[in-house]
Amino acid sequence: MTKQDIVQFLKAQLGKGYLRHSEPIPGQVWVEIRPEATVQAVELLHRQTDARYLMSVGSDERELKDRFGVYHLFTFDQQHFFVTLDVSADPKKPRLPSITPVIAGANWSEREIRDLLGVEFDGHPDPRRLVLSDDWPQGVHPLRRDFDYSAKPPSKPENAYPFKDNPPGTTVVAMGPYFPVFEEATYFRLYVEGEQVVDVDYRGFYAHRGIEKLGDASLTYNQIPFIAERICGICGFVHNVSFCKLVEHASGITVPRRADYIRVIMLELERIHSHALWLGVAGHIIGFDTVLMQTWRMREPIMWLCEKLTGNRKTYGMNLIGGVRRDIPKALVPEIRKKIQAMDKEWRAVLDAVKDDTTLRMRLEKVGILTKDQCHEWAAVGPVARAADLPMDARKDHPYCAYDAVDFKVITADSNDVWGRTIVRILETIESFKIVYQSLDALMELPEGDIITEIREDIPAGRIAISAVEAPRGEDVHFLLTGGDNRPYRWRVRCPTYPNLPTVQVMVKGEQVADVPIILGSIDPCFSCTERMEVCDVSTGSIKVYSQEELFNWTKNRRERFETV
Amino acid sequence: MFLSKLKEAVICFKHLRVTFPYPLKRNPEALPQPDFRGRPRIDAAKCIGCAGCANVCPSRLIIVTDRKAVRRLDFYLERCTYCGRCAEVCPEGAITMTGEFETATDRVHDDMHLSAEVYMGTCQRCGRCFETRTTLDRMMTTGFRT
Repeated sequence: MTKQDIVQFLKAQLGKGYLRHSEPIPGQVWVEIRPEATVQAVELLHRQTDARYLMSVGSDERELKDRFGVYHLFTFDQQHFFVTLDVSADPKKPRLPSITPVIAGANWSEREIRDLLGVEFDGHPDPRRLVLSDDWPQGVHPLRRDFDYSAKPPSKPENAYPFKDNPPGTTVVAMGPYFPVFEEATYFRLYVEGEQVVDVDYRGFYAHRGIEKLGDASLTYNQIPFIAERICGICGFVHNVSFCKLVEHASGITVPRRADYIRVIMLELERIHSHALWLGVAGHIIGFDTVLMQTWRMREPIMWLCEKLTGNRKTYGMNLIGGVRRDIPKALVPEIRKKIQAMDKEWRAVLDAVKDDTTLRMRLEKVGILTKDQCHEWAAVGPVARAADLPMDARKDHPYCAYDAVDFKVITADSNDVWGRTIVRILETIESFKIVYQSLDALMELPEGDIITEIREDIPAGRIAISAVEAPRGEDVHFLLTGGDNRPYRWRVRCPTYPNLPTVQVMVKGEQVADVPIILGSIDPCFSCTERMEVCDVSTGSIKVYSQEELFNWTKNRRERFETV
Repeated sequence: MFLSKLKEAVICFKHLRVTFPYPLKRNPEALPQPDFRGRPRIDAAKCIGCAGCANVCPSRLIIVTDRKAVRRLDFYLERCTYCGRCAEVCPEGAITMTGEFETATDRVHDDMHLSAEVYMGTCQRCGRCFETRTTLDRMMTTGFRT
């Protein structure tokens, strides 16, 4: 289906619910519909076309158009365009119909909009808090424009998080907020019957830092690339490129070809070291530490190479809007090629050794099943979807930078399990080596020094842009509505873990408790809790359980004691 | 099965131990490269007080204060992200990124603070600091000190 077909199809089916359509930026179709027609429109796109749900964005547009805007974003991967459904909510009492009953993957997006903007979704199956902390007061919505970015509302510790009730006959096993195999804070509450997981509940967002709010309220276009890079410690450059692409799309800035290739090289180096890191961590989770030692040893020269090229081993700080800050001199190209070739050779040796390892296969095969249909339902992305035989890859589907000029394959597997995801990642890394070689060839032909386009005019307000960049974990989608004061009006980031993490509750059901860490690990999550702490007196054998309040007071006293010293 | 274990063993034995007892001994391959973005250094003698660095700093850690004809630049480096934007925009090359990366300290406020004071000519009309148009003008400005 082409863009026109989609528009005609929606127009015919929705009737009065359809308002108008436009194409603000080539490849991004904008369809305005009435709130009553939302569910029908989403159902049509999701069930009857090739559309894949990306995310929903909420935006406080009371100053601009006297409304709350909610955008449901879809992508047509094979046809290379995006479709956005634009729905308006009443500025006084924002209520909209929920699309979660149709697309399970919209669950988090809608809860986030509810938390941060106060738009209520009728018919949402799980209207609990997602982003805001438990002690955040009710009715205060931090992403509204009238909320100051540095405001600190008084804490309300009485709002306890309502976890799901135990299914009858089950026991609770808590994983997190701090758990040895998760690198970050997240809380999974497993309901188990013996060794088998019956149900799971999740509470996260302990590390929510309000970066989007800073982008909307305090920082400027020149500063955001640097904070965008700090959204993630491993795939920061992806966010950086995503944001720069957004602004470049919105204002029609063209980036020099050399800068495009340099971005591709850095993106691929990032994918190489991220996949090497993941393979090591996955090995570590299942107790196969040889893999951890060896992949991390191989990863290190790549980190040094990145340091040489950019000035730092991570957070490269390479991008600015319009291009990159540092050139890769032609004289350095043979050396880079030599280092990548060395890694390439070693990586193939690892693939050769790992692919026939029966112990590993027995441990990973048929674990954490997520089928093609479930992927579509939960909007899963990246290696998780590719291991379920869905050939989605933003580098092919929505080519950015210089990906239209390099030749590579999208790796898929059809096993739907953790093993499939492992193989997809290992083979993908080999494709990355190929992309780096081709980009280095291209650098040799392009003139040195032409790496950034100077921006002479202000970035116009009221422009809309979407960018999708393939991160090692899946596609990273950013949304931008430009504003005045040299900063975005609304900037929304959807990292690949965002749609992948909720799929864990599908994957772990019916699995063994011991398999849960590796299933979680298989989505390569970026992740942490003790509601209380038990103190056991060894000499008497008595156990005292502290409540949250006691602990809170205890730490407070300690802090005061510390401060007086 | 057996073959793949053998291959894994070969990979391990080929490299043996690669870690170093840092900080006693350093890996020569991992030392900072010439273009490394470490702790910034400011050369007050070169600074013209244009405050371009304060303008681009993403962490906004460079504070500019004007007191009469003296402009003071304070760098609160505990917030520094080592992006090197200040060094990049400085027209006089007064800021350089050094190879220094071991900046852990228990005296953050002293060790991570840099400052530079620049004597500026003042505008006769408004009394505020200003930049001269060219280097030559700068030399001609009364009271200008480098």
